[in-house]
Amino acid sequence: MLALHALWSPGRGVCLWAEDPDLPARSTSRARRGARPHPFAVPAERLAAVWDIPTATAGVAVLALPSDPDAPRDSDDLDRGETGPHAGAPVLADWTVPVLELPPGVGPPTPPEGTRASPSVAALRAVDALAADLVTRGRLLPAPDEDDGGDAAKRSSTRIDRLVWRPVLQGPDLVAADTLAAALPPVCRCERVPGEGTASATGVVEAALAAAVDAHARARITGTEELAAAPDWAHALGDAPVLGDPAPPGALVAGLRRWAVVGAPHAGPARASFRLDEVVADEFHHALDDPEPVFRLTFALQSAQDLSLTVDADTVWRDPTALRRWLDDPAEVLLGELGRAARVYPELGEALRVPRPGGMDLDLAGAHHFLAHVAADLDRAGFGVLLPAGWRAGPARLGLAAAGGHAERPDGVVETGAKIGKDDLVDFSWRLAVDGEELTDDEMDALIRAKAPLVRLRGRWVSLDADRLRDGLAFLAERRDRPTVGDVLHLATTHPDDVPAPLPVESLRLEGELGDLLAGGTTLEPLDTPSGVRATLRPYQRRGLSWLAFLAGLRLGGVLADDMGLGKTLQVLALEAHERAEGDPGPTLLVCPTSVVSTWAREAARFVPELRVAVHHGAGRADPAGKAGDADLVVTSYGTLVRDTDDLAEIAWHRVVLDEAQMVKNNRSRAAKAVRRLDAGHRLALTGTPVENRLAELWSIMDAVNPGMLGSATAFRERYAVPVERHGRVDVAEDLRRRTRPFLLRRLKTDPTVVDDLPEKIETVERCGLTGEQASLYRVVVDEMLDKLDDVEPGIERRGRVLAAMTKLKQVCDHPALLLHDGSPVGRRSGKIARLEEILAEVLAAGDKALLFTQFAAFGDLLAPHLAARFDTEVAWLHGGVSRKARDTMVERFQSGDGPSLFLLSLRAGGTGITLTAAQHVVHLDRWWNPAVEDQATDRAFRIGQRRTVGVRKLVCAGTLEERIDELVANKRALADLAVRDGEDWLTDLSTDELAKVLTLDAEPEDPEEGDDDDGA
Amino acid sequence: MVRETRSGPRFSERFPEKFSEFGQRKPVEDGIVARSRRGEIGESWWSGRFLAVLTALGVGGRLSRGKTYARAGQVVDLAIEPGAITATVQGSRDEPYRARLGLRPWADEAWDAVLDALAADSWYAAALLAGEVPDDLEDVLARVGLSLFPQGSGELPMDCSCPDWSVPCKHLAAVAYLAAEEFDVDPFALLRWRGRDRVTLLAELRDRRDAGAGVPTALEDLLDRFHRPGVPIPEPPAPARAPASDALLDDLPPLALDDRSDAREVLRPLYRRLGEPPVGGVG
Repeated sequence: MLALHALWSPGRGVCLWAEDPDLPARSTSRARRGARPHPFAVPAERLAAVWDIPTATAGVAVLALPSDPDAPRDSDDLDRGETGPHAGAPVLADWTVPVLELPPGVGPPTPPEGTRASPSVAALRAVDALAADLVTRGRLLPAPDEDDGGDAAKRSSTRIDRLVWRPVLQGPDLVAADTLAAALPPVCRCERVPGEGTASATGVVEAALAAAVDAHARARITGTEELAAAPDWAHALGDAPVLGDPAPPGALVAGLRRWAVVGAPHAGPARASFRLDEVVADEFHHALDDPEPVFRLTFALQSAQDLSLTVDADTVWRDPTALRRWLDDPAEVLLGELGRAARVYPELGEALRVPRPGGMDLDLAGAHHFLAHVAADLDRAGFGVLLPAGWRAGPARLGLAAAGGHAERPDGVVETGAKIGKDDLVDFSWRLAVDGEELTDDEMDALIRAKAPLVRLRGRWVSLDADRLRDGLAFLAERRDRPTVGDVLHLATTHPDDVPAPLPVESLRLEGELGDLLAGGTTLEPLDTPSGVRATLRPYQRRGLSWLAFLAGLRLGGVLADDMGLGKTLQVLALEAHERAEGDPGPTLLVCPTSVVSTWAREAARFVPELRVAVHHGAGRADPAGKAGDADLVVTSYGTLVRDTDDLAEIAWHRVVLDEAQMVKNNRSRAAKAVRRLDAGHRLALTGTPVENRLAELWSIMDAVNPGMLGSATAFRERYAVPVERHGRVDVAEDLRRRTRPFLLRRLKTDPTVVDDLPEKIETVERCGLTGEQASLYRVVVDEMLDKLDDVEPGIERRGRVLAAMTKLKQVCDHPALLLHDGSPVGRRSGKIARLEEILAEVLAAGDKALLFTQFAAFGDLLAPHLAARFDTEVAWLHGGVSRKARDTMVERFQSGDGPSLFLLSLRAGGTGITLTAAQHVVHLDRWWNPAVEDQATDRAFRIGQRRTVGVRKLVCAGTLEERIDELVANKRALADLAVRDGEDWLTDLSTDELAKVLTLDAEPEDPEEGDDDDGA
Repeated sequence: MVRETRSGPRFSERFPEKFSEFGQRKPVEDGIVARSRRGEIGESWWSGRFLAVLTALGVGGRLSRGKTYARAGQVVDLAIEPGAITATVQGSRDEPYRARLGLRPWADEAWDAVLDALAADSWYAAALLAGEVPDDLEDVLARVGLSLFPQGSGELPMDCSCPDWSVPCKHLAAVAYLAAEEFDVDPFALLRWRGRDRVTLLAELRDRRDAGAGVPTALEDLLDRFHRPGVPIPEPPAPARAPASDALLDDLPPLALDDRSDAREVLRPLYRRLGEPPVGGVG
């Protein structure tokens, strides 16, 4: 098998030659001087046949090869089958060898089958590959060909005959070229040219790269349309290397020389960099079985401009001459940098006490020191620090993670559900968490045993702060006793800053029912309706009862914040009945607004007749102590509570229930102060709106039922209220939710778990057009307002004007007559009424009933007779002027089967306090900008007792402020649970420009279609 | 170099006021001004060690006046050369004085020993290159029987062309202070005084290091691996790492040609074409 070789001939380029094992191994020539014919080199014609390269030419080269006196030594790749012993050390001798000269710039092709190629072929192929890659990336520049036989006279003139492509070696390419030079087998540069020495490796790689880059570039652009379109001189870069006539532009050669400076090899200033790795195998790639990890800090030179360009110190020492081309004194730069780094990292000094320092080995403690402290210092001092992916300089975040399971009574009995007591013990364990990841037992053990706080965690090494680790381990060691349920729940709800632990508690996982409570109690086993309750609890109410009973067992306060209409009253009464089935726990004090004192008494008597109820309210009330003595439930008002605080505070209450707990939302109010003085074993708050305006209200209500749980009001403001309300921090809001979740149960009517029990509510926004009359009136109002605002200072007057204008605009949207006050007929002047008529026609055709809400009494006055005439039906009209008695009659008639089908209500008079579940449709004729007010009105129909789907329609005039604000309200609704400001104040605070945007009419009027129906006026 | 030996109180101590009125120094333009404006001169331990030799001579008054001279910029020029620090100092006379602090350079054999020791332990070169004289350098020198600093005034011959017969005079003191400041920033200056300048010293260290590194480049030295690569031959580069093949043109200065075209823009379409290697790759 032939052994193939390649070499770079300074005069000819890449040449190929080969050895044949079948030829004689010894030379017969006895010539002492000059080159002898190589005895076993393959003749040129056979070479050409083997390689089959038509463009190659045969030639002869004189090669200096390792030789014995009578023969060149066989190359490593020549296999003769047997090898005779060599007489002695080889010497370099010259041999004439037939070669195949490849065309300029062509690299050695793939070696043919049946031959064996020496690394010299691969090396020159690698040079060619780098050249091709340089061309592809455009890392080359045209240059005048000044390498013209050393003719100085020619060089100095601007008359240059040829242009060539030169490689631009910078950054990583420079290192790649240097690596090629270091790799180049000596045989690649062994041609002996008379009068010259053999070429250096660097010189060969440079020359071969230059030739290959030039050839590749020419080949790629020759014959392209780009070259055809280029001026004459550019053709010298393609297939016509010689610059012909006309002479090249005068500035060209000088300009290209300037460019060569930009393209000169450089890697820029360098700095030392340090790479820390774990040593997992020794230098022979044997895996280390030493249990103690070993780390290696490798020194390197790194280009300050191109950080990807990094040369290990070992490379700098191995061949500093190559690097000297891009760095003046690479070794001195490296040493000086290392000396500078030793000031930051004195331990480095020891590693320098060798002739050629390449790095240093670190044990666990050393690696920890480096990661925790040194890396950051080095980085600050301007050195590079490289760490494996996932490793990090500086200590990792250390925290605590706690996990617990089931509660047991001190006597070992496992309790469940409402029987779990506050003093039961919990199976509980603490762990360390690193960067939020909980450590396993093994990892904790390893950490305790480790000589340095460096732990291998999920495949990476993490350094820890030694002091904090020690504190954390000490804390863990002290926590051997099992905590009580109360302790655990306290931990779960306390802000991390208030937990007496040396590290932040990052996670708390509880299994079983305690975990369920922390998760919001949604999967607690529902309790059956207690026997004394004369009603059937809905499933969600049974869950609520279960939650209340669970909290009561733990003597933890709760806030039942179900949506209005979901039966908070019933759930509380059921709780009382549930407890009293097992004995008399003592009296419960229920505090509520005056208006519902009698309602509570009535409801209690109705649902739980056996409950002994006493009312402590009104003039001439007796000493409450007497009542408490023989009552189960004492109902009082907030006002009475404030007045009789001293007396009420004397009594040991089983429970205090705060109905409409928003009454204590201001913790400085007298009611809130009075509540705090009450002595009760358990506290509950009922509210439909735990947060009306500000988060502080939640704090007040929570503090009323679980004093101190959310910390001080000031701390709460700093930790939660400000970040959430002012900075919109979702994560903080979520944290607050997590902490309050065990004690706050809020079900919305739209909850999936509740919806099963309630019919659906389908809300739609109906867009109506404006008539021409409405549109022009609308524009007049807007223009007038904007005009007036120009000369009004921000303040009450401006607000007043804006509000007045908006009222007018809403009136225009309803009907022009509302604005004109002219008593003119309804006619077909309102797009909204036209749409309303369509809707009502449908409603009535289906035999359904509808509630119609408006905020303008005048609109109702106008609409009621109109609709009555239009549909020939009775229309009930409830407004502020209707007496209480007439109102009750109206409601009763509507709820009964034979009453009116249409009930027109003013938002103010009919928005609250009545139940109109006979209606399946609700139409809001005009928008009220606080969604909560609209929802409240809608809920007249959508209450307990409603058995059918309720359709809610909101009429909005397209292109008007109604539509614009409908969008704003929709966005606002997303935040409504946290805070919605009341009324329309926020609108009045808009700037005049913003107002103009919101208010300006953005639609063409569309008069109701002719022939739609007859005019009912 | 002849040093006077004296006994009894020194002249300056006998007539301190009178001597201080000896004459007013003439101002110098562009003189070498000490960086230190007050207090001590010489921040590093090594310049301190050097100055300690002078301090030990107990000519306190002259030293402080020399300090004043150094800060006033009376030293016109100063050169630290192998064997001597020479300087020109403007005093009260028109003609500036010539001051010289001599130090015996180490012999070549001694230097060889020093360089061998330094090349074997790159900590020393690293520290020197980082601008510091390593504090254990003296131990290394001691092992080959040398000292970096003059061991007493006997090894520090000084002379000055001024009439003051005190040694050192204030001119020599000023020169010493400025030399100390030079040593602060360039510890190689101390070694230059001992006979090897920085470039030579580093080159000799480099030669020793390279010799040890054992990477021969001559073919004669490579006969044992004549056909083998010195390091593994790198893998061919992954294709197309750069975003655009004409990006280099944007880094070049404009090259306006006679026909008002810019060579960069002429070449740009060609560069884009270069970015498309022929299908099938190379070779």
